[in-house]
Amino acid sequence: MVSATELAYYATHPTELRSIIQWKTWHNPVHERDEKKESPELKECFRQLGLTSRSFAAVIQELHPELLVPVTLFYLVLRGLDTIEDDMTIAIEEKEPLLRNFHEIIDDERWTYNGNGPHEKDRELLVKFDNITKEFVKIKEPYKVIIRDIAKRMGNGMADYAKNQDLEANGVRTIKDYELYCHYVAGLVGEGLTRLFVEAKLANPALLQRPELMESMGQFLQQTNIIRDIREDHEDKRYFWPKEVWSKYVPKFADLFLPENREKALHCQSEMILIALRRADECLFYMAGVKEQSVFNFVAIPQSMAIATLELCFQNYAMFERNIKITKGSACQLMLESTQNLQVVCDVFRRYARKIHRKNSPRDPSFLEISIACGKIERFIESIFPTQTARTLPRDANGAIARKKKEDEETKWDMIYIMIAVLAVLALISFLMIGAAYLAGARFDLAISALKKGNFFPPKNPQGVASLASQFEGVASSSLAAPNAGHSEL
Amino acid sequence: MAPSEHTVNAYGKDEKVKSLGRVLVTGGSGFLGHHIVALLDSRGACAQLSSLDLRPDANPINGVEYHQGDITDYDSMLKLFGKIKPDAVIHTASPAALNNNKSDLMYNVNVNGTKTLLRASQETGVKAFVYTSSASIIHDTISDLVNADETYPLIMGDAQPQYYSTTKAQAEVEVLAANRAPNYPKFLTAAIRPSAMFGEGDVQLLPPGLSAYYRGQTRFQIGDNENLFDFTEITNVAHAHHLALAALLATRDREDSGLAAPLDHERVDGEAFFITNDAPVYFFDFARMCWAAAGDKTQPNEVWVLSKEFGLTVATIMEWVYWAFRLGKPNLTTAQVKYTCMTRYYSIDKAKKRLGYRPVVKLEDGIRRGVKDALYRGVVVGQPPELKGKKMQ
Repeated sequence: MVSATELAYYATHPTELRSIIQWKTWHNPVHERDEKKESPELKECFRQLGLTSRSFAAVIQELHPELLVPVTLFYLVLRGLDTIEDDMTIAIEEKEPLLRNFHEIIDDERWTYNGNGPHEKDRELLVKFDNITKEFVKIKEPYKVIIRDIAKRMGNGMADYAKNQDLEANGVRTIKDYELYCHYVAGLVGEGLTRLFVEAKLANPALLQRPELMESMGQFLQQTNIIRDIREDHEDKRYFWPKEVWSKYVPKFADLFLPENREKALHCQSEMILIALRRADECLFYMAGVKEQSVFNFVAIPQSMAIATLELCFQNYAMFERNIKITKGSACQLMLESTQNLQVVCDVFRRYARKIHRKNSPRDPSFLEISIACGKIERFIESIFPTQTARTLPRDANGAIARKKKEDEETKWDMIYIMIAVLAVLALISFLMIGAAYLAGARFDLAISALKKGNFFPPKNPQGVASLASQFEGVASSSLAAPNAGHSEL
Repeated sequence: MAPSEHTVNAYGKDEKVKSLGRVLVTGGSGFLGHHIVALLDSRGACAQLSSLDLRPDANPINGVEYHQGDITDYDSMLKLFGKIKPDAVIHTASPAALNNNKSDLMYNVNVNGTKTLLRASQETGVKAFVYTSSASIIHDTISDLVNADETYPLIMGDAQPQYYSTTKAQAEVEVLAANRAPNYPKFLTAAIRPSAMFGEGDVQLLPPGLSAYYRGQTRFQIGDNENLFDFTEITNVAHAHHLALAALLATRDREDSGLAAPLDHERVDGEAFFITNDAPVYFFDFARMCWAAAGDKTQPNEVWVLSKEFGLTVATIMEWVYWAFRLGKPNLTTAQVKYTCMTRYYSIDKAKKRLGYRPVVKLEDGIRRGVKDALYRGVVVGQPPELKGKKMQ
């Protein structure tokens, strides 16, 4: 399971290893599925969920019991649509009515489909789709209404795109088209989920009054995926980057991958990242409207992963050469931080905004706009969790300066007192040491005389001491302390 | 309220701008004053547009009446106002904030001059008075300002190291106190507080910033550059003055026609507004953008990052050495180090809600235009002389 390169990576990145261990050890799901009460069909639904989604399966299964089944079915229904849309082996004449009628199909308890090509990886989902429709009829009517509505609009949007020959041949043209595509595949998901959350009373109904917020949630995730998957999509001949952006840098889309266009590719990448990054503050705003912990985790984890992915891609040419993704360690760290509260998620956003800002280069045409987008994220966080307000400022009219002057004055006197104390201690210790030496019979007179003659260093051997002593003995009248060594020498 | 009544076209291509009547702009030859006159003229916003300044305008605009005079001289002001009969006054005149000496001139022009203009306006029936204040009046020049709004207290006197800011604050207090004053209850005032103005004609921000590029200082950065700072393109400041004046006049019209006064949360009269580009950026990113616009090619990995403490130490030593040898002002001062490492940005929600303010010139466009203009005028110390007077692409 664990490769040698991974081992080497985590040996050199202990904090990431720590995050993995912490996540595996300490993460407790907010809610757990009760498998005993589940029908065999529902068990099959969860199995399909695990097969079709790596990233969402875990968070969905921890959702509040009220929403667990509706959201699982919502995901599988959309996945079903996706599996039809993605499969290029299905003829358009067959595909279009399937997409446009999918919202009715889901009410048919016996519906299954085996028209997918043999290589479609999620083929099994549609082959056994009756498991999903059987569960769908059991959920509450308001949830069904929401899921049908989104399936209808998404199916029609996808059918329009599938029929669009121009798109097939030329890819997405304008930024507006690009955002419209993201709206159909992700913005609508955001809307459906928000309506489910509000219906279950787990999110603030005001979220429905600000539709641009839920739109941004979906756009941010989808755009991030489109940016990151550029290489893979190019190989599959799918073109989601709008011509309006890439044509500023290269004449043909494929030229982005030429080594001589390295810098141009990075500039194009920056502009794509900028378009996504401008949505980040609205994503944080949206998350402020979520009331329940499991729903919060469900929405926050993908958002944190997305901003981390944008940071990973930014100014990273490897994105054009191969698939890149954030390391498992970083992912675990992000999951730990995204399963707490909004303030912690805000810290994540600010941290990654600053990382992006640090890599930003003035040679990049999007340089200042990226700086502004990062600043906008920081300012938004400051507006919901202010570190400074008029009330936190010093009250007195003199303000900070007066306070600072007072503090300076205090530190000055503190300094003077400390100096006095230090000097006093030094004096005391010196006095004690000199006193002790005096009592023990030290000859300061000899030492001072030697110093006067310029002998600043003590003699190195006993003979030296003796000669020194004898030298001054004559001058000094006292012979009392004449060292015996000196006499024996004479 | 006002913005809906006065269709203000953001780009000056006039749709239907309600006339402001006869407007007098003081300091009309100055950096901001000139831009206000030019903007109002291009929008055809006034029945009569007059400018008052000590100096003549370097590039006078056709159709604008230019007057020279001293705003501290009450008698001559009263005479001038009697002659022009302005409906509205925009008061931008102020000495440059360059030197920080506690001068009588500063007090005289900023405080006494403003008082004189208020008195002359009230006595000659002016309806609306917009005063150019400064975002620095709530700043002690040292502390960080994080998303600061208009509820922050003014910092004046001993707490305010910049004497300029003290006088601007005192004048703002006078202006706002004159709003609906008992003797003249219909006279309406407002104050605009712009932060770090730059643009075409700028002498204080872009030229010294660009000098750093020509001195080869772009490879150094002091501090971690995580401090956000608000800069404001000059046209946006002019635009905000237009909006404020239009709002005051709309309030007056409304009350004259017998309608109720605006509610507290929509009031413009008697209020001050921060004005920025609504785009705080990391301090050095602004500088790098200016340098890049002038041709700098430095990459982030070529930059030496020095800590703030190190920068302060070097600046202190340089200040002492320059002082000891009488060399003038050093290339790096402690005040500069503090400013480059400081967070200073504002919330402009109030201006957005009550004035309908949105920046009309983006930061990046403003920088490109401003840099081109500064080099063209040849005001950047150390710039290649051949760039002066040369049109840049």
